[in-house]
Amino acid sequence: MRSSEVRLDRLSKEYNRTVAVDDVSLTIEPGHMVALLGPSGCGKTTCLRMIAGLIRPTSGDVFVNDRRMTGVPVHRRNVGMLFQNYALFPHLTVEENIAFGLEMRGISKADAARKVGEALNLVQLSSFGKRYPAQLSGGQQQRVALGRALVIEPAMLLLDEPLGALDKGLRESMQVELRALQRRLGLTTIMVTHDQDEALTMADKIVVMRDGKLEQVGSATEIYQRPASKFVAQFIGASNLFHGPVEQRNGSGAVIRVSPELSLQVDQIPQSASDVMVSIRPEAIVVERVGQSPAAQRANSVTARVDQAIYRGFVSHYYLKTQSGGQIIVFEQNQSQQAGLRYAVGEEVVARWESPSNHVIARH
Amino acid sequence: MDERFSGFGAFILYTITAGMMLFILAPLLLVMAVSVSDSYFVTFPPQGFTLKWYAKVLQDRDFLEAMRLSILLALGTTAGSLLFGVPAAFALVRGRFFGLAAIKGFLLSPLIFPALVTGLALLQVLTKLGSQDARLNLLIGHVVVTSPYVIRTVVTSLQLVDENLEDAARTLGANRLTTFWRVTLPQIASGVAAGGLFAFMVSFDNYPVTMWLANSEYSPVPLVLMRQLVNVFDPSVPAMSTIIILMAMVGVLLLEKLVGLRRALAA
Repeated sequence: MRSSEVRLDRLSKEYNRTVAVDDVSLTIEPGHMVALLGPSGCGKTTCLRMIAGLIRPTSGDVFVNDRRMTGVPVHRRNVGMLFQNYALFPHLTVEENIAFGLEMRGISKADAARKVGEALNLVQLSSFGKRYPAQLSGGQQQRVALGRALVIEPAMLLLDEPLGALDKGLRESMQVELRALQRRLGLTTIMVTHDQDEALTMADKIVVMRDGKLEQVGSATEIYQRPASKFVAQFIGASNLFHGPVEQRNGSGAVIRVSPELSLQVDQIPQSASDVMVSIRPEAIVVERVGQSPAAQRANSVTARVDQAIYRGFVSHYYLKTQSGGQIIVFEQNQSQQAGLRYAVGEEVVARWESPSNHVIARH
Repeated sequence: MDERFSGFGAFILYTITAGMMLFILAPLLLVMAVSVSDSYFVTFPPQGFTLKWYAKVLQDRDFLEAMRLSILLALGTTAGSLLFGVPAAFALVRGRFFGLAAIKGFLLSPLIFPALVTGLALLQVLTKLGSQDARLNLLIGHVVVTSPYVIRTVVTSLQLVDENLEDAARTLGANRLTTFWRVTLPQIASGVAAGGLFAFMVSFDNYPVTMWLANSEYSPVPLVLMRQLVNVFDPSVPAMSTIIILMAMVGVLLLEKLVGLRRALAA
């Protein structure tokens, strides 16, 4: 299957003067899987539908392999699309559903039958050809939809929250399966999701969207470890956000004063910054009993009281309160033989972390 | 089911249901009974049993001519109202345009306005336009009156069709027309069939609009029936009525057989 490069060039969509997608430019490399991630109403689905041709952009263009798609109707774009509710034709059997796109392309009955067979094989539903969609489970229905989308050998695959209707276990196994299949076929794929885990699991590149704009584009690691904005830091995973003035510069870094009892040592900071926001991931923080900690008054370290403690299987969540009332969230991985929570509510502890964990957020 | 409908409650429920059925069906049953009465006047209870009134009716040139006209008119009306109503319903449900609500109200208005007024207005307009052909005028009038029924049933069934199905078909290479034909229409078939049946029946027994638009040469069944009723009220009138009742029943049963009446009306 050939791979296409998809390029969005200053794509915008307005509905009655409300801007759904605002000047989005993005290049998706051939064979990559890109996830458009954001809360509902951020414009990700509108973006996907504009790429499919189901929605006409107010301005801007979609290019596929440098061919301008504006004005090309949906049915000539050769895109494979998956929908959250599967969108299988209820009056057609599984085979007929898969054959639909082939029939539209005028492929002979014999060739179509062979391709349908191959597609059924690919999605592991060979024995289900004669059934109707209503006789299948959700996961099976989405496999049929996948077969139907792939059999036409599309230029790209578009996934609109494809696994959102499945329950957790099935969703996770389908994510891995879909990702493996996409890699094997080398098919350029764009998916829309509000589920950060899904985006992190499946995508080569994550595009975080907010209010119709691109918030950050990057790999899973980049997005998670170096969020470009407060929004990204909070939307992807959990973050402890601290805010304060630069107290003292040292080399390329600085000390940030957050509160009387807490200062942060930041290794890299822009020269012009005088007032910064810092995010620290909850799993980067180590909790220790008072007295066990080497020195309580250093940077990146603070004494606090355990406000809430939640045991969640392989991790425990601690919500700590500092003396000045600031909250710190800590995720601590549990050991296999550990007897429940290590710290009790009300206990006085020291929270500390290494300075590389302090990530300065450029936009806040 | 068994638990809910048993004991005294069930008795009350069945009694009320039977009472309602009798209330609705009694006039029809009465007509049917009288139609086989072996007397020259319409009397109840019927006296004796005869099919001679049916024999008379089925040899009555006026009645047969009226039947032929009414059936053709109803078929034409059904086709016309489907041709007009289905696309209109599609536009009302899928469209996003200015004045949608107003147009919706307008298209359904013949259901609200008295048919008598609609008929008179149509007569005036058609006369002004110089349309002399009573058959054409009747067809136009009946399409106007029946289209709202089609629009309503099709709108309700279209609202239940997932738009993603259409989007999926289009991404798979179907243009809008093919998408409608191959994907949307099969989903709304029951609504279309129900609308069509309504159109046929409403056209077939419409009196108030027909009265204005028919002439002496082209008189559909309701007018002939009325004329007969005024002239000689013998059991041939109930016989004609019975034939119409049986026709309606066949229509309903046919719809039930084809798409399931419950589904068609619920949709």
